[in-house]
This record gives sequence, C-alpha cells and structure tokens, in this order.
Amino acid sequence: MWNVVLSSLVSGFTHLTWQSSFLILLGCVLLYLAIAKGFEPLLLIPIGFGVILGNLPLAGLAASDEGGVLNIIYKAGILTEIFPCLIFIGLGAMIDFGPMLANPSVLIFGAAGQFGIFLTLLLALALGFSRPEACSIAIIGACDGPTAIYVTTKYARELLPAVSIAAYSYMSLVPIIQPPIMRALTTKAERSVVMAYGEKKVSKRVKILFPVVAGLITMLIAPMGAPLMGMLMLGNFLKESGVVGRLADVSSGAMVNIVTLLLGLCIGSAMLGGNFLQWQTILVFILGLLAISLDTVTGVLLGKLMRVLSGGKINPLIGAAGTSAFPMSSRVVQREGQKANPRSFLLWHAIGANTGGQIGSVMAASVMLAILAGMGIMPTP
Amino acid sequence: MKDWAFGLTVTIAGMGVTFITLYILTLVIRLMDRLYPYKEEKKDKGS
Repeated sequence: MWNVVLSSLVSGFTHLTWQSSFLILLGCVLLYLAIAKGFEPLLLIPIGFGVILGNLPLAGLAASDEGGVLNIIYKAGILTEIFPCLIFIGLGAMIDFGPMLANPSVLIFGAAGQFGIFLTLLLALALGFSRPEACSIAIIGACDGPTAIYVTTKYARELLPAVSIAAYSYMSLVPIIQPPIMRALTTKAERSVVMAYGEKKVSKRVKILFPVVAGLITMLIAPMGAPLMGMLMLGNFLKESGVVGRLADVSSGAMVNIVTLLLGLCIGSAMLGGNFLQWQTILVFILGLLAISLDTVTGVLLGKLMRVLSGGKINPLIGAAGTSAFPMSSRVVQREGQKANPRSFLLWHAIGANTGGQIGSVMAASVMLAILAGMGIMPTP
Repeated sequence: MKDWAFGLTVTIAGMGVTFITLYILTLVIRLMDRLYPYKEEKKDKGS
C-alpha cells in the first residue's frame, strides 16, 4: 500500500519528459520576457502560464485533454473562432479612425503594408508547406494576433500555438524589427521630410457613418472576413455613436481583458512538447519574422514613391506604419522621424496609415480565406 | 493548380482586392467629408 501511495505522489515527476520540461522552461522564459522586458505582457503572461500548465504531466490541463478546464474553454472560444471576434469588438472600441478620416490618402499605405503576407506565402509554398499551412504562416505578416488565430484555427490548427506566439511576439518586437529596415531603405534627407501638420478636423457625423459604410463595403467585397471586419466596425460604432458609453467601455475594457486572458491561456496550453518541438516550428518563426520585415520594406518603398510623386511632401517613413501593429508602428515612425529631424511630427499621419493597416490586414486575410474556400479547401471541422 | 500558380493567384488577388478596396474607401471618405464637413460648434450667445 505504501508503494501505491509513494508512486502516486511522485507520478508527476516520473511522467515528466524532456519535451514537456523544455516547454515548461519556455513558458517561464515567456513570463520573464513579458515582465522584465515588457514584451506584450497582456498576451505573453497568459500564454506563458498556459504553456506551463499544459505541459504538466497527468494534470489534465492541456488544451487537448478532453474534459479538462482549458479544453472546455479551448473548444468554446478558439475552435468556434469566437475569441478573435470578441477581441475585435474591443479593438474597434479602442481605435480612433479620426487621423485616417482627416487624411484618407494614407489608407494606401495600409494596403502596401500587407505585401509581406503574400511574399511569405510564396516562400512557404516553396519550402513545402501545404496551401492551408502556408496561408496560416503568411498571415503572421498581418501583424494582428486575432486575425492570425482566426485563419490558423480554420485551416492549420496544428500550427496554432506556433503562429499565435510568433504573431504576438513579433508585434511586441516591432520597435526592434522596423527601425533598421527603415534606416536602410531611406536617406537622412528623406527621413527628415517635415509633413504638414494641420490636424484637419472631421465631423462627428462622418465618424459615426464610417464604421457602417466602410463595414458594408468591405464585407460585401470580401464576405469571408465579415466576422472580423463586422466586429471591428461594431466596436468602433459603439464608441463613436456616443450613446452607448457603457457598451463601449465594457467592450474595450472588461470584455477584451477577459477574452485576452482566456485566449492566451488556451493558446499556451495547446503548445505541447511533442508537436511544438519540430523543425517546422522554427521555420514558422523564421517565416513570420520575414513576413513582418517584408511588410515594412514594401511600405517604406511605397512611401519613397509617394514622396517622389508628391514633390517631396510625404515622408517615406510613414509607409512603415501601414502594418496592423497599432499603435507600435506609429510610435516607431514618430521616433525615427524625430531622430532625423526634431522638427518633424509624423505621429498624426502614421496613425492614419496604421489604422488603414488594420483594415488592410483583415481584407488580405479575407481574400486568402475566400480563395481557399473557392478552391474547395474546406476549414478544419 | 500548381503551388506556385496558387501562390501567385492569391498574391495578385489579395493585393489587388486590398488596394482597390482601400482606394474605394478613400473616395467614400472624401465624399462623406464633402457631404458632412466639420463645422465649429456655435458659441453660446452669453459667452
């Protein structure tokens, strides 16, 4: 009898494999990065803790452990794709489209900032990933965690932990990834361009109409992205309508915080040693980094072209803000612009491009989903 | 369809649709701004 008691007490240790030990250590590293380095703590802390919990042997806390608490939440929120949609309501309630509405021509940078997605798609296909997998990896370039989770849950669920962690990690690393690329592609003279700062005002009516009108147009063009785009515009409408402050507050506050916590826990608990520690995971991380880097390259190159076409009025740095990494990219552009010329104030224009990037990334994902569906590649049931 | 053809199709369609959609939004925003331009709030008579 004492043998039974003793063996049950040490069973956790005896069932610990090197893979699960490594992942538990990785979870601790994510916690360290979140706390000590400030890397997206809102996501990396739940993810890191989820990794630790999910890799504990015999605990039943992995996302795949049927009936476990995280399995129930994983099925209810991740597999149903509800969590990314709820986060997008909160995101919409936090976003201010004002700078973009005041200068709508910066929207074009939101398109250029998605080019890295498609270049990475081509490379992932060349490296032997299947079409659904390549799309899921490429969407890391959208610089948008919920969009990456939404696409990957549909088409390459086995890559969900790697894609999610890559997407959120690289979003927090934007201040490190973008500046060297921006400096390499521009001269100091180009970075020093001072853009007119008029802070043109937009009427309240336009701010209220925009989420409805833009939502209708984008969702009719690309219905596959309607769950994300619709939720984004709903959240923004709650904020701009001015008559449902409670709903806007809870969307941008309590709701998004709760969902972020549960989403991170579930993503982390899905990262199991056996399926995560593969060469494929390393490739996902490399390709994800490439996608975001290429977004910056194409955005800045378009910025340079716009500078020439505008007769020198546009600072090419704002092209780097055309990604969906809001508001990190805008701040990076502002900082780099001021380093080159202290009189330059690019934040207003960069925020416009950044919010355009938010819309552009959902459009890019929608088209990918539409083409996959059109080719008969069905989502994972 | 070969993989490279698939990739190219997705790239052209994806970038094309994204650019066109955002361009349409640019025009729509400009139209809305013309229809509903910003007006300074009228000051109260007493102030």
